[in-house]
Amino acid sequence: MAIPGSNSLGDKKFEAKISDKVHKASMTKEQRTYLRNKSLLEKVWPVFRFLILFGLCFVILYPLIFMISCAFRLQTDMNDPTVMWIPRHLTLSVIKETAEAMNFGETLKNTLLLNIGCSLVQVVTCAITGYGFARFNFKGKNILFAIVILMILVPQQIILIPQYTQFRYFMGTNINLINSPLTMYLPALMANGIRAGLMILIFRQFFKGLPKELEDAAYLDGCAPFRTFVQIMVPNAKSSFLIVFLFSVVWYWNDYYVSTSFFTENKTIALMLKNLDTTLNTTLFNSATAQVSVREKIVWMEAGCLISITPILVLYSCLQKQFVEGIERSGLTG
Amino acid sequence: MKKSKGIQMPYEKRKSLYGYGFIGLWLVGTIKWFLIPLITSLKYSFETVTPATGGVQETWVGFENYVYAFGVDPNYSKYLVSVLEDTAIKTPLIIIFSLFVAVMLNQKFKGRGFARAVFFLPVIIATGPVYAIISGDMSSSGSSDASQFSTMFETDLVGELLEFVGIYGISDTITETIQSVTTDIFSLVWNSGIQILIFLAALQNIPVSAKEAAQMEGATAWEYFWKITFPYVSPMILANLIFTIIDSFTDTSNSVMNRILEVQSDWKYGEAAAMAWSYFVIVMIAVGIITVIVNKFIYYEVD
Repeated sequence: MAIPGSNSLGDKKFEAKISDKVHKASMTKEQRTYLRNKSLLEKVWPVFRFLILFGLCFVILYPLIFMISCAFRLQTDMNDPTVMWIPRHLTLSVIKETAEAMNFGETLKNTLLLNIGCSLVQVVTCAITGYGFARFNFKGKNILFAIVILMILVPQQIILIPQYTQFRYFMGTNINLINSPLTMYLPALMANGIRAGLMILIFRQFFKGLPKELEDAAYLDGCAPFRTFVQIMVPNAKSSFLIVFLFSVVWYWNDYYVSTSFFTENKTIALMLKNLDTTLNTTLFNSATAQVSVREKIVWMEAGCLISITPILVLYSCLQKQFVEGIERSGLTG
Repeated sequence: MKKSKGIQMPYEKRKSLYGYGFIGLWLVGTIKWFLIPLITSLKYSFETVTPATGGVQETWVGFENYVYAFGVDPNYSKYLVSVLEDTAIKTPLIIIFSLFVAVMLNQKFKGRGFARAVFFLPVIIATGPVYAIISGDMSSSGSSDASQFSTMFETDLVGELLEFVGIYGISDTITETIQSVTTDIFSLVWNSGIQILIFLAALQNIPVSAKEAAQMEGATAWEYFWKITFPYVSPMILANLIFTIIDSFTDTSNSVMNRILEVQSDWKYGEAAAMAWSYFVIVMIAVGIITVIVNKFIYYEVD
């Protein structure tokens, strides 16, 4: 009647149960309560964790969902009390109008050129500087490194005015660099762009973590330090380079404080978005017939937000893993 | 012996020369784009600066600009106090909250990758003007139609929840506190992305052996947190604390920063520089005091 296999399996289970019971009996009372509490916690905690995380994720995603919902509706839907999330008049016209008002194609091209150019240049120069600080001993190193820390701490607005005059009358001559992309490129080229101090610090920490024997071996083989850096250290620091580059792109993308001072025209996406309200007023709602309330205007504002963050969101969703694991690999915490 | 020293010295010396070579570009840039502007702006803060052709015209006025910033300007001191207060309340909240979330995100569960991705989303969005528009549409302050619309949506939810639980109308102070906390959750979550990231990295550096030992000894989750997790992440608490304070002070949307920009665009460079510098000094003093106090409670594994 009984299948031999299952019988022996049942035996084993039974034995395990018995031994478990014997094991439990041999425990003290505290040990048993500890185990009971632990298993109870293991059952209850995931439910709580799910609730908390779900709620918080909702708080983060809410504006994005709101943005998407708003961008695809007609302005009249804003006054319709029955419309909460799903727009009644699904349309692309608002997005088209906003993109036109922002001169989106041109602005995007400008921003990408500026962003990627500055980020590339700055990552390279910051890596070189960070390596210099990590691996070489020279006089005044501590003071110079203190300046790097100072670069992180000093708020941008302190140095913006003198920088402005420096660019307005470049090198004491009457060359006006305001509105030229050089105002962004030049500091980046010399490792002084946006948040350069932080990037130097990250690279320094990272290169400090690599074994010193690498370079000594290279030196003994007659390799000059700069070649060592390019051929041995850089390949090892690939992931670090990628993450700093990504963060740099994000910082340049989002910056409007620095660019407001150096650009009088709305040349970058962030700047355009910052002044979207004014732009919309002068282009779209200029005629007397186009009367829109503040609430209706949300539709255009959210559409502007949506198209400005879409490129960076695409980047994020592709490289999400690198972003999340990046800080850890970059050595900032080690 | 002398010979070996003779070989070593040039190597070290050459290395130090190469060191200058590596940081040379940065050094030139820093002098040009950072140190000179920094000193110039300090000088401006003691001067009346008027734009003129070929540069600016400067006249020395001593501490007049500082007197103007604190005494004459109607908003600066008021905003300064409110920003200080705001930061003092917000910083501990952000630290506790982000540690809590980081511990949760460090545990294994289904959909962890997604949850992490969502929590770091503010890191890439919150620094830009997008956040200004989003929070403008969401926040309850302000009296425009736009914010009233979303406030209606938000506070009503909270109010309904309170009514449901049965504490609505019992005490105005309780309701107000709960409401202020719930509306703050938005800014709290949106401002703690990087802190969560840093804590998470620190949590992943806790050696497995420590965890195993704690389990063998029968530590409860509560004990485990305070005796293992907390000491290991404590250096990062200081780092996060400083980061949060600096971030909150230099946040371009805070009222002092905006006041400085306003004064600047009025061509009052001297006054703006004085405001920026006194602000910076106050921030540095605050950070210094906190560092000294917190450093006493930190556990360093090495040395």
